[in-house]
Amino acid sequence: MRNFILFVRRFFNLILFLILEIVCVILIEHTNTLQGNDIISSANMVSGLVYKKQSDVVYYFGLRKMNDSLVNENARLRNEIDQLHSVDTLKDSVVHRKLYPTDSSTHIVKFADYLYRTARVINNSTNASDNYITINRGSKDGISKNMAVISGTGIVGRVEHVSAHFASVLSILSSKQKVSAKLKDGTNGYIIWDEKQPDVLVMTDVPQQVKVKKGDSVYTAIFSIFSPDILIGTVLKTVVVKKNAMQLIYLQSSTNFHNLQYVYVIENKMVIEKKIVEDSSAKK
Amino acid sequence: MNVYLKNILRFCIIILLQVLILNKITLRWWSEPAGFPVFIPYVYPLFILLLPFETPVWALLLMGFGLGLTVDSFMNTAGMHAFATVVIAYLRTNVLSALLPRNLSEYDGQHPSIRSMGWMPFLVYSAFLIVLHHFVFFSIELWNFSNFGFLLLKIIASSLTSMLFIIVYLLLFTRQSASRV
Repeated sequence: MRNFILFVRRFFNLILFLILEIVCVILIEHTNTLQGNDIISSANMVSGLVYKKQSDVVYYFGLRKMNDSLVNENARLRNEIDQLHSVDTLKDSVVHRKLYPTDSSTHIVKFADYLYRTARVINNSTNASDNYITINRGSKDGISKNMAVISGTGIVGRVEHVSAHFASVLSILSSKQKVSAKLKDGTNGYIIWDEKQPDVLVMTDVPQQVKVKKGDSVYTAIFSIFSPDILIGTVLKTVVVKKNAMQLIYLQSSTNFHNLQYVYVIENKMVIEKKIVEDSSAKK
Repeated sequence: MNVYLKNILRFCIIILLQVLILNKITLRWWSEPAGFPVFIPYVYPLFILLLPFETPVWALLLMGFGLGLTVDSFMNTAGMHAFATVVIAYLRTNVLSALLPRNLSEYDGQHPSIRSMGWMPFLVYSAFLIVLHHFVFFSIELWNFSNFGFLLLKIIASSLTSMLFIIVYLLLFTRQSASRV
């Protein structure tokens, strides 16, 4: 016993060092799973408040840019509304008709019910290998984990930590998450980020024979957490991987992550039901 | 000013400087044409570097851990900054005693600075620990030695900018007059 105490006293610093490092490793390991780990994220009260105060100050400098982006988005939405209203009756045969999820005349059952909430970005990063965005809405406003987040121009990420008044969003500029995407012709693939440039994304799992042109648009797939047909980006270049006859498609991200101001948090009200069904079939 | 009060104040200043200003500057000098990594300067290890000479190692370790976790909570990195900061807090005393001619306990009531150590020893001391900190941090962050060149480039670029900002910080925030020693 005496020897043990002497040993501890002699190597106290080394032991403390090792203990602290092990605590750090455990924290890093459990970033995603540990429940209490919400405290060490920018969603906690103190850092949330600091970021909010800063954002209140810096807010006014970005108003001009924000106005422009809102006007652009309005224009795009008006365009879409007009397209929906002015259906060409001559062409409106069964073949050309779009199928809407709520259209009861067709036998497509409603599979998703989206609720959009606006939120202001109060902190933003683009330079780490897992980038986070802090928004000024939390569980009191109905935000919960794993909701999708989009901006006016494209997808942004997924809510990861929530506190009462703030939430931190893991952006798609991260090695931790994949997003299902589809090309114009319906080919599905995954969007990942190669941790290099903050406005270039990579689409994988696309077969080599699928023809892709530079400038083609890539949208979210219908089974991703995002609502379908949200623009992700446009094709920059394609690289063929010899090993598995797939191609990598480099995309110019449509969201500008450098000056995010406002985002929409999407709640899919049917996602729990969908998850239960999928989990029950996965068990068998 | 009281040593404790002074260091608490410095802690707050450095954290706010790091989180509110430096984290917002994304330095992308040549990042556009080539695949040069985007990087930000990390100045917060300076708090550990500037603690008084006679601070015991266990206190350094605990403060490093606290500092790292604070930065982690602001940057959503959960433990990565804490890991790197604890490493340099552990090695600080060894580096200092290797660089300084006298025993550390003889520097009573002083803290490492350009004035107490001279330009060259202080730069070597801070550069060594900063590079070590960046090396550990970026290795954990990327966790992938497959493109070692990219990692190395990121470490070198970030260390250089961090050192630049640290020198600027020291020139701004240390008293130049020799009246107070």
